[in-house]
Amino acid sequence: MSPHDRSFHPGSPLADLHRVQYDERMSDVPPVIDVQNLHASYGSGKQKKDALKGITFTVQAGECVGFIGGNGAGKSTTMKHLLGFRFPDQGTVSLFGEPAGSVESRKRLGYLPEVSLYYPFMKARELLEFYGGLSGLEKPVLKERIPVLLEKVGLSDQGEILLKHFSKGMQQRLGIAQSMIAEPDLLIYDELASGLDPLGRHDLRNLLLDLKEQGKTVFFSSHELGEVERLCDRVILIHQGLLVRDASLQSLLEECGDRSLETFFIETISETTPP
Amino acid sequence: MSPKVIHCIAKGVWLEAIRRKEIYVIVSIGCLMILAFTRIRFFGLDGLSKFHRETALNLMSMCTALTVVILASRQLPLEFTRRTIYPLLARPVPRGGFVLGKWIGVVSAGLFCLLLFLCIYLIACLVLGAPVHLTLLLQHTWLQLCMVMVMTSICFWLSMLCDFDASVTFGILFYFTSTVFSNFLQEVHEASGPVGQTAARLLNIVIPHLSLFNLSPKVVHGDFWPPLEVGVMIQLSLYAFGFALIFLSAAWLQFRRRAL
Repeated sequence: MSPHDRSFHPGSPLADLHRVQYDERMSDVPPVIDVQNLHASYGSGKQKKDALKGITFTVQAGECVGFIGGNGAGKSTTMKHLLGFRFPDQGTVSLFGEPAGSVESRKRLGYLPEVSLYYPFMKARELLEFYGGLSGLEKPVLKERIPVLLEKVGLSDQGEILLKHFSKGMQQRLGIAQSMIAEPDLLIYDELASGLDPLGRHDLRNLLLDLKEQGKTVFFSSHELGEVERLCDRVILIHQGLLVRDASLQSLLEECGDRSLETFFIETISETTPP
Repeated sequence: MSPKVIHCIAKGVWLEAIRRKEIYVIVSIGCLMILAFTRIRFFGLDGLSKFHRETALNLMSMCTALTVVILASRQLPLEFTRRTIYPLLARPVPRGGFVLGKWIGVVSAGLFCLLLFLCIYLIACLVLGAPVHLTLLLQHTWLQLCMVMVMTSICFWLSMLCDFDASVTFGILFYFTSTVFSNFLQEVHEASGPVGQTAARLLNIVIPHLSLFNLSPKVVHGDFWPPLEVGVMIQLSLYAFGFALIFLSAAWLQFRRRAL
């Protein structure tokens, strides 16, 4: 029940009590993404290179957050830590209050990798059945859900075609479908619009707006600042492994003034000199 | 670790085995060679006929091993190079479940090859009117499956240490040199002093002896060899399970904390 429930008169003692109870309940709910002082590096000895230098941020349920930064800033590395593909040198990462990488943390998660490549010997429908099966979905559910998803990503006629015949853009569309097959609460997209043509981007934007309306949490990295501006509630900017900005889109746009987000982005990272 | 997840991953391996052409090539060549060898009558010379049937059984083993080595060595490295590992492990799939699912997939593909070859061998023997010692043949097939389990685990472990090509090369080399190496160890043990004997004994324990899983001479000369006793079969099976488990666990330990 929301604190703004109409059955209580605003300002009444009962409504106040209810609001306090609601706030207490919400404070118990862990953030969907919780990254604390994350340090990560590649290589060892003299070859060791710090990729992340202690970044901290949280993402709450229902937020759509754009994760931006230049090449080599540490976006994909952060994503890999969120999914448990890599292990932090220092710091903690958790999803839904569970340690990143644990099976529990991945139960409500959909992920689109930076480069979408799938099994060339599978058909599109089989791939979605495969990933759906891994998420524990039963056959009747999959039978119902797969045609809808293929329709949504514009591949309704391609379900029985082997993936070795798919173009990069088609694989990316299929990647988006696989990320949504289990109807996850959190979607993590690495390089969102990579390989998509303008029409594909338009479709994807509408899909994400739908997901936002459904209250899903979306966390994505992108080089396309236009996408970020159109879709996000909040923007996190990282540069050379450091978190440079974490602000709502509204406040960033106000700060930008007459400048474009791109100009603002370039100016901000050029002002930042990591230690 | 959900059985459904393991079944799903194994199903992916079967689909790959079915749709990739090289497996068909190995199986077809194997079938043709088995047919050719088992059909040769050699003017009623029983000894030569037996020799060729034994060769056919060895070919069955070789083609199965080759299929398994290629299939097993490919599973993990290709997941990394194709980057298909990322969306897969983003699901609620434990890394152990992933390795186990792949292992079951490869072993069952190996079993399919074995059964296919066995059918062809049986048909050829029936057509020729050659004697078939069914119990020994079934024991041989079971032990070959044990060999498949060990080889799959070894190739999984190798593929965690090196790339696909190197893993296939080492896997094939190990399969073909295993018998020679066993004999060599025996010779070393007989010829050397206490230190050499201890070393030979140690190596004898550490390295799996694939020759133990090959009953082809006994199957062909079934008139003189009784079937193996149940106790021996159990010991051999446990020997195979032990080695399969050790190498599979080693592969899993490598994969468990591997940064992707």
